[in-house]
Amino acid sequence: MTGGEVPEVIGELRQILARATGREDLLGLPAQTPLFGAGVGLDSLTGTLLLREVQRRFGVDVAGEDLNLDALATLGTLAAFIGERTDGGGHRPGSP
Amino acid sequence: MTVKCVIWDLDHTLLAGVYLESGAQPPPPDPAMVAAAAQLRDRGIIHAIASRNPPEAAQYAARATGLDFAAAECGWGRKSDAVRRIAADLGLAADAVAFVDDDLYERAEVSSAVPEALVLSPEDMTDAVGWPEFSPAVVTAEARRRGQMYAERRRRLEEARAFAGSPDEFLRYCRTEVTITPATSADAPRLRELSVRTHQFNTAGEAVPEPTLRELIGSPAHQVTVVRLSDRFGDDGVVGGCVVELGSGRARTVTLLMMSCRAMGRGVIQALLAWLARSAGQGGAVTLAIPCLVTHRNVPLRLALAAAGFRAEEQASLRDDTAGGSGGSPLRDDTAGGSGGSPPRDDTAGGSGGSPPRDNTPDPPVALFTRPVTGPPPELPGYVITEAGSEVTGP
Repeated sequence: MTGGEVPEVIGELRQILARATGREDLLGLPAQTPLFGAGVGLDSLTGTLLLREVQRRFGVDVAGEDLNLDALATLGTLAAFIGERTDGGGHRPGSP
Repeated sequence: MTVKCVIWDLDHTLLAGVYLESGAQPPPPDPAMVAAAAQLRDRGIIHAIASRNPPEAAQYAARATGLDFAAAECGWGRKSDAVRRIAADLGLAADAVAFVDDDLYERAEVSSAVPEALVLSPEDMTDAVGWPEFSPAVVTAEARRRGQMYAERRRRLEEARAFAGSPDEFLRYCRTEVTITPATSADAPRLRELSVRTHQFNTAGEAVPEPTLRELIGSPAHQVTVVRLSDRFGDDGVVGGCVVELGSGRARTVTLLMMSCRAMGRGVIQALLAWLARSAGQGGAVTLAIPCLVTHRNVPLRLALAAAGFRAEEQASLRDDTAGGSGGSPLRDDTAGGSGGSPPRDDTAGGSGGSPPRDNTPDPPVALFTRPVTGPPPELPGYVITEAGSEVTGP
């Protein structure tokens, strides 16, 4: 587990989410706020953009590994999902 | 509208490798893509580049392929922005450009943000040179309608950019109307077309013939529904549909659910899933079940299912068919196959242009997504109109 790096990942995810939704207020989103439902309201379009950026930045294919997309529950769960699959610096272990 | 300009991604599309990862020796051009591009050039179609690489990559690609590029956008912004800038630079409407990229997410992003563009995978491209879109003599009725919807879409996007409120408030401001009604046999041709042309929002992934649809529409054991979308900018007509098996048990099953990607981001899929859950609960069901193919192409649909509270059983649902042998991921990546994705082609192709032939890879896994429909029914958004014509008011 790479708990030490998760806060940095969360910070980066906030920026990705704010860009995907076009909402700057999400730059201050707490790590425990649900992404689906009222508030953030992640949907097909913004979710696709978020997953695309996560794959590009961290090399983690969330949709390919998480059938129910539980990793998208909150920024905290998404950061932990990414942290478990990278060396913490955003690079997937063993990837070219 | 015929395509006047093809906008190419470089890495793993026009080039057979990744430019920045190949050190001193950049990757060679992909021979199949260069052959297709040269054929199109000979028909008067121009080429451009949209790449996440430094500008030198475009210069290298021009030297290596021997092709002329009318424009090149190299940078790290959205590909849809690059596509729009290129079209604007060249004085072309967005429906006169095609975009080719090996990355599913890039294709999804461009097709949702620039729905009038033709978005293709490299696998599609070799076949696509034979499509009417790339044969300048052919002008279809669909193309004329697309031009009209392009103008409507452009006005909507301009206002969306200037709009200060939330996405929900924008839908209200646009006077968005999602109308959910029982299908009649007159809807069969359009439902069939949706079954063929939708990919990002399609649970079944196979063509349903018109006679089958008519039979289902007339069957008392089934409920076939169509969804229309319109707003102050224009009428998109039927953008989605579904087939529900009513059954006698306590579970209702949605055997087919599909929506045009044109309707993405406009509240349609949320409305349809909420309506399905409501009507299942009102019909006495305990559970609403949606069997759904699990592919990389319909990730947007899985996002909508997750947002609407559906869940699938991980173990039981995934068949072991990792034929590609790529290992690791339990969910199959279907983007490498010959049928690799033309999600934006809904409504754009003329007759013979049809879908690319399917390859022989095994069927992707099917997962059974369910949600309970007991308890308080989900609220329908305020912009939904149901069959009785009564507008259901939101919270």
